[in-house]
Amino acid sequence: MFEPILLKNINTHDSHRIDVYLKNGGYQALAAALKMQPDGIIQTVKDSGLRGRGGAGFPTGLKWSFIPKDPTIPKYLCCNADEGEPGTFKDRVIIEKDPHQLIEGMIITCCAIGAKVAYIYIRGEFVFGAERLKTAIDEAYQKGYLGKNILGSNFNCDIYIHKGAGAYICGEETALLESIEGRRGRPRIKPPFPALAGLYAKPTVINNVETLSCISHIVNRGAKWFASIGPEKSPGPKLFGVSGHVNKPGMYELPMGTTAREIIYNHAGGIRDSRKLKAFIPGGVSAPMLTERDLDTPMDFDSLAAKGTMLGSGGIIVMDETACIVKVAMRTMGFFRHESCGKCTPCREGTDWTYKVLQRIERGEGKEGDVELLEKLCGNIFGRTFCPLGDGAVMALRGALKHFRDEFAYHVKNKRCMG
Amino acid sequence: MADEEDEVETVFIMATVKINGKEITVEDGTLILDAARQAGFEIPTFCYQARLSGLGSCRMCLVEIAGQKKLQPSCVTPVLHGMDVFTENETVKSARASMLEFLLANHPLDCPTCDKGGECELQNFVFKSGPRQSGFSEWKRRFHDKDKILSPVIVKNHNRCIHCERCVRICDEVVGAKALGGIGRGVMIQSTGFMDDRLDCDHCGNCIEVCPVGSFMSLPYRYKARPWDLKEVDTVCPYCATGCQITIGIRNGEVVRVKSRINTGINKETLCARGRFGYHFIQSRDRITKPMVKKDGKLAECSWDEALSVIKQMFGSGRRTAGIASARYTNEELFVFQKLVREVFKTNNIDLDSRFANKWVTSAMIDACSLAAGGIPIFDALKADLIFIIGSAVSDENPVTDYLIRTAASDRRKTLIIAHPRRMKLDSSSAISLRYKPGTEGEVIKGIADFIENGGESTSDINAAAARFKNASNITMFLGAEILRLANGVDVLTGIAALKALLKRSGKNIKCLPLFDRCNQRGARAMGIHPLFLPGLKKVKEDGMDCGEMLDAAKKGEIDSLYVLGEDIVSMHPDARFAREALSNIKFKVVQDTFLTETAKIADVILPGASYAEKDGTFTNQEGRVQRLRKVISPVGDSKDDLDILCSIGGFAYKSAREVFEKIKKEVAGYKDISFEELDGNGAIVTGHGRQSLSLKGTVPLLSGSDNSGQQSIKEDKEYPFLLITGNHLFHSGRLSQRADILMQLLPEPFVEISEDDARESGIVDGEKVVVKGNGYEAAMKLRIAKGSQKGVAFVPENFDSVSVNMFYKKGEGIPRVKIVKLP
Repeated sequence: MFEPILLKNINTHDSHRIDVYLKNGGYQALAAALKMQPDGIIQTVKDSGLRGRGGAGFPTGLKWSFIPKDPTIPKYLCCNADEGEPGTFKDRVIIEKDPHQLIEGMIITCCAIGAKVAYIYIRGEFVFGAERLKTAIDEAYQKGYLGKNILGSNFNCDIYIHKGAGAYICGEETALLESIEGRRGRPRIKPPFPALAGLYAKPTVINNVETLSCISHIVNRGAKWFASIGPEKSPGPKLFGVSGHVNKPGMYELPMGTTAREIIYNHAGGIRDSRKLKAFIPGGVSAPMLTERDLDTPMDFDSLAAKGTMLGSGGIIVMDETACIVKVAMRTMGFFRHESCGKCTPCREGTDWTYKVLQRIERGEGKEGDVELLEKLCGNIFGRTFCPLGDGAVMALRGALKHFRDEFAYHVKNKRCMG
Repeated sequence: MADEEDEVETVFIMATVKINGKEITVEDGTLILDAARQAGFEIPTFCYQARLSGLGSCRMCLVEIAGQKKLQPSCVTPVLHGMDVFTENETVKSARASMLEFLLANHPLDCPTCDKGGECELQNFVFKSGPRQSGFSEWKRRFHDKDKILSPVIVKNHNRCIHCERCVRICDEVVGAKALGGIGRGVMIQSTGFMDDRLDCDHCGNCIEVCPVGSFMSLPYRYKARPWDLKEVDTVCPYCATGCQITIGIRNGEVVRVKSRINTGINKETLCARGRFGYHFIQSRDRITKPMVKKDGKLAECSWDEALSVIKQMFGSGRRTAGIASARYTNEELFVFQKLVREVFKTNNIDLDSRFANKWVTSAMIDACSLAAGGIPIFDALKADLIFIIGSAVSDENPVTDYLIRTAASDRRKTLIIAHPRRMKLDSSSAISLRYKPGTEGEVIKGIADFIENGGESTSDINAAAARFKNASNITMFLGAEILRLANGVDVLTGIAALKALLKRSGKNIKCLPLFDRCNQRGARAMGIHPLFLPGLKKVKEDGMDCGEMLDAAKKGEIDSLYVLGEDIVSMHPDARFAREALSNIKFKVVQDTFLTETAKIADVILPGASYAEKDGTFTNQEGRVQRLRKVISPVGDSKDDLDILCSIGGFAYKSAREVFEKIKKEVAGYKDISFEELDGNGAIVTGHGRQSLSLKGTVPLLSGSDNSGQQSIKEDKEYPFLLITGNHLFHSGRLSQRADILMQLLPEPFVEISEDDARESGIVDGEKVVVKGNGYEAAMKLRIAKGSQKGVAFVPENFDSVSVNMFYKKGEGIPRVKIVKLP
């Protein structure tokens, strides 16, 4: 049985309070990190093999090392707590139940990259989470873990909370920066990459909540220990949020590389009403869905990429045989259509068009050639959009088409669901 | 040697790239799009616009780069040495076609009723590279069925929008109005004003110009014509001296629109409200179309022969005659006018524009800006690292110059310093905005000079500005025409000349450009419309009288005949009562104009001239750029080309503007290399007239109200607490613009603008009706509050017959004082 790391305290009474956090060994990593050289911290994180938990899986230590070392340039850390991917609810648990774990990780990160100011960009709907964070930050200030001269180390750090206004696109890192700067949340042109010109055109690191929460554990228990969990190329603990047609939906912390079968059947209690699994989305709706055949795939970045999908945020959505994939595809595309920022042509028009076609098929007004049309539209959108949102939309639809093309064809022909 | 020092040689790193197999070497950092265009490959774009920030959103310009998995937007991707780019292979072509298919998906295909049809970029690209057939058979997104009228000039159809956001960016980055932004998200996004309102809108219509489709449309032009029905003629804007190139479109002899062309002129695609929508005066019903002669104290229409014979009979010659011209006439007309005055009327009593203080000030301006030394292209001037503006509310007076300065100042390495009593739009781009009381311009200049020489002593803002001067190495100064109106203008301009000399001594490059508010103010001087100068700014042997002196003489009964070319002296001369009285003392007055102005009303003969759209010729803008004016329509009614009129009175044999220009080339050195025929959209910059300075020092008589400190004596006056400045409003220019219906819709009546502090103290709120009183005159108007303007200063636009602002002026007293009283 894997012993939880990130979630180890969440069932403790008052786990969000600093006293409880301190009692369980909190802020010791910070004290240790403050004694280390910044480069030493970055090296430790590099050695640990930690990869970003926001979805792309970029090596965290490497990302930090891109930040210029010139101490005269202001630098920023932004914590991406926008968690907007449907099917994902991992960051919320950390923010609400163990906010100090995140804050400690952020302070250490600031120390490593030389940032004195950090922002937490939190999803607007997380009202309770933002309150908890606010209280936690206040507590940290009171205890001297934030503010001036932290623990007598001459290091200063401030954390601000910035609430989003409900746009999925603000989870995209450059749109997030735009939003913090007070502008319309829309992605920026890259390059320049945020590591060189990010927030207020200054070097900026943007990390996910879960990524930053791993930092204190890596500092405390060493890079080797962390690297020993899960597969070699993407080590560490991973939060899997299981939702959908399972008996025990919820948040499960397991080593990276645990198979989908184990997560769904052993931990989440299997499919409800003893039905058959039809499909599952491994990491939020942008990740193409997989079927029963892929249940034994290890849930890590590389193994899933090899299957043509992605680990994403680790939000597993399980669908049993009662689910109509056309409807799933329509609802998914409806989401992307709604959330497209409208900046670039293929995403704005493409998601709208695709959604309308899917709606028509779902309504029973499908026409011959619709499936081909969908495939053509996917091809016209994919790889041509400004940011990954459009690609995500296409990947989701392509996943559905790949495994369930006959179901779409049946829908078009018979004007109703299969089965 | 000096030249070598001036020109800093920039070494560019070059990159060699292959585009569709063709090798091309370009400057490193060039966009792939530009490199491809240089190599001769056309890439269609919607969101790309050279002067706007890169957006990369329309995805029309996607190209394939060898070794990169995804297609890249060429409008935001710079070249890298050794890059292998494909812009015309099948992948790229199909991507292009698919983008067009996407754009057409929700685009209403209402081309037959769309104003843009025929000159629509979407239409053009679809014909060129679009898919032959669309697979789209769903319902189209629709915001509303009717076009939304956003302002008296702008109408918006959201359904047609393709979201290139050129409108948003031009409004924000170039115009500086920030009136547009995106509302909504995804396919429901609309680029519009806040709540479809027109808050902060400048009504310049640049959003209409840049719109590739028919989303933004001109309300005055709507449904008036199809582009292919229009006859279009390129000419120059007749309002301020920025000298924007415009294209007038006529249909069935009616002027229906004015637009600008993307690659033409210094304005490129931009214009201001008056340039774009101020054309209705051309064919206004109020135009004078028949000559008139005063008979029995009343003006009566007559034939041209009669009018001309009366003039020949009645107009005297010698010292008791005089001529005053407006700076809205072409170089050729003004040249012939001065010939008429000097050779036929045999007098040097000739002056331009009746607003200015005296001939010494206008000479000092010619000196301070080195107008005799030839023109300076504005883009060269804007390369400076410090730009200083004094004496002009440039955002109101020269809107397109304001755009150019804003664009230049967006470069963070540059510093913009503005000195003016009024808040203006360009302040948002300035590092320092110096406020002062009108009349104390000299102090500002002196303060800057003092700090540079001695350090310390000045007040803090001036200090900071002076420090910037010290740090800069290339400085451009813009001197506004307001200085010309100051009683102590000579002192201010001498101070500026001294500051220039000081900066030059410390090894800085100084350029100085005037900011004029009439289209041909600079050209007029070069043509010899000045009591002290012949064409080419050659000094006259015997000084003539300036406008003020002429009126003084007239008052004393020493002027018998006066020829007025398009100038409204009664409305514009500071002290309306005096001007009227003096003019009525002149026995014989000829007014040649397009409208029945206040001055024309008291004339003995009125000759109906032509508007700018009815004649050929050239204007010289404030930079010294000579640009062609082209005839669009024939003179309305019985009115005649002004050149013809002047020639027949003077008995000159010139048949066309071109012939006069040939003569100008001989007499005005700076024009000798310019070819009238070859003047294109970019015009030609005049060269030096072969003389550097007039060295007026010592010859300038001490003026009333001025002393040596360069400060006009400003006494506090409890009863009349405001110093009044007057000038042009953004939508108006002189008294001409009030004849343009659309401009009158935009601002139908004058207002008085005071600072927020003053308004708070007097308890008057924005928009409240007040009475402005002073010099025995009073006028009721609405109050406007300008946050950040100088305290104790009031501004009233001088563009309306309904409120004659020059009634507030009293001869010899300089800047008038007024009080503002709430209406009970």
